[in-house]
Amino acid sequence: MAEITMTSPAARVNLRPLSPATRLSRAAAPWLRRLILWAFAIWCLFPIYWLASMSLKRQVDAMARTPRFLFQPIWDNYLAVISAGDIWSYFGSSLIVALATTAVALALGIPTAYVLARYRFRGNADYGFWILSTRMTPPVAMLIPFFVLYVRTGLMDTYPGLVIAHVAINLSIVVWLMKGFFEDLPSELEEAAFMDGATYFQAFRQICLPVALPGIAAVAILSFLFSWNEFLFSLVLTNEIRTVPVGLYSFVGYQQVRWGELSASAVLMLVPVLAFVFIFQKQLVRGLTMGATK
Amino acid sequence: MRSSAARSRNRFILLMLTPATVLLAGLTLIPFVVSVGFSLTNYSLTAPNDIAFVGLGNYIALFSSSEFWNAAWITVLFTVIAVGLQLVLGVGIAALLHHETRAVSALRLIYLLPMAITPVAAVFTFRMMFNPTLGVFNYMLKTVGLPAQDWLGSPTMALVSLILVDSWQWTPFILLIAAGGLAALDEEPLEAARMDGAGPLAIFFQHTLPMLFPYLAVAIVFRSIDAFKTFDIIFVLTNGGPGVATRTLNLLAYKQGIEFLSMGYAAAIAIVMLIVTIVASQLFLRRVDLFKPKAAL
Repeated sequence: MAEITMTSPAARVNLRPLSPATRLSRAAAPWLRRLILWAFAIWCLFPIYWLASMSLKRQVDAMARTPRFLFQPIWDNYLAVISAGDIWSYFGSSLIVALATTAVALALGIPTAYVLARYRFRGNADYGFWILSTRMTPPVAMLIPFFVLYVRTGLMDTYPGLVIAHVAINLSIVVWLMKGFFEDLPSELEEAAFMDGATYFQAFRQICLPVALPGIAAVAILSFLFSWNEFLFSLVLTNEIRTVPVGLYSFVGYQQVRWGELSASAVLMLVPVLAFVFIFQKQLVRGLTMGATK
Repeated sequence: MRSSAARSRNRFILLMLTPATVLLAGLTLIPFVVSVGFSLTNYSLTAPNDIAFVGLGNYIALFSSSEFWNAAWITVLFTVIAVGLQLVLGVGIAALLHHETRAVSALRLIYLLPMAITPVAAVFTFRMMFNPTLGVFNYMLKTVGLPAQDWLGSPTMALVSLILVDSWQWTPFILLIAAGGLAALDEEPLEAARMDGAGPLAIFFQHTLPMLFPYLAVAIVFRSIDAFKTFDIIFVLTNGGPGVATRTLNLLAYKQGIEFLSMGYAAAIAIVMLIVTIVASQLFLRRVDLFKPKAAL
């Protein structure tokens, strides 16, 4: 910013001689700024680093009274976790639930999002608000009737049961974000299609949907991530079918002190999440901020 | 001719809206009605056939119990302090990031991580770090000569620790929204103020912040509503303890409903939370112009 002010002609007119103190603070400002920004970055990274380092420690290193920053890394914790095998079934359950949730939420959410973004009709804004308000609902308000219903109908501890709950949580986010992506498309797209005699549905299916594919991919990733990370409903509505977060939580309960193996399990469950973050950074920013940034 | 075109347009809109509407209504409105119904009974899964209508009995019991008011107070305390802290930090860092030129994309990537990673895994890590004898936090405090803390053991520190973890996870949310807002701002008034010799802080508070407000309003509302119903962090880190020092309304409803199986009482708590949420979001979100379609066909 400072550079722009200096070089713009209007600024030059207004430029007063700078005192040495001002000049010093101007020179120090970028470094102070960088220091704060990187300090915050380290704060964000530290727990992840600590978890990873714990997963590579022997029990004596993990349990050292003075936490050890330098140690002989070992893979034993990972080998133990992988050979114990529980984690594979957690991964399997999470994968099934997250994929099914994403497929259903997208199939139902995309048409609604499209109409909300593109068509003016009476109650459009109210409808949009209602969709968003389902995202605001405290989960316990849904959990209690779900719990009673599931106990009574045998949906407890089944894949369809958990998927239904996850769709209920995710659908509003899918609609809300897809609406934003459709709004970004120029309306000339459909207008041209209508000129060529396309029906409303053809304009949606053949013109808009292909153009919106990047947005759809972003929302799919996000929906997958939310389902993968979801804890409360998975905890309450399943027993035998354990998703990854519930599995990790049960480890925490049973093996309070085996930090190394617990950390290795936690790192393994973060692998897909981290992969998504690195590959789809830009789309995730928009998704995680509920579409408030474009 | 005209009316048949309008009819096919309406049919199209209806057709596109129906599947999601039916499902969402089924999965959110019906549970809501069922919850209201439960909350007016003494329904308990320990004696499921012994169900009786008790009118507003659960609500009266709730409002006259100290555990409810304690939980409500802790929920408010947690929400206000956590969101306030995240707002100040998030906006401040976003303002710095806006002027940064080096390694901005690396910084943004790092800031994204706390929000994206599985909360249970992050909370487990914090549990290790908070450990009073073996944890790295106390080690660091002692290294710089500060007294060790009983992070999760003392009532005050437990709440502080929860706010710390919540802020670790969610400051980036406000940061990213604020950064997005800053990038979209009209620079002209800022430039004009700079010409008039205003200092960077004066410009920030008098010009940037007011212009940023619509973005921040959205961030605050989303964040407050989410903080209000925080579950994972509290459940895994303190489970409401020590004693009831960190038992929020959400945890209270969970305890009553899922652990003690008193569905009527738990539903009453959930309904109270729901009403608070709806009123809050109606008050604030309605004012933000998010709901109008931009390109109308």
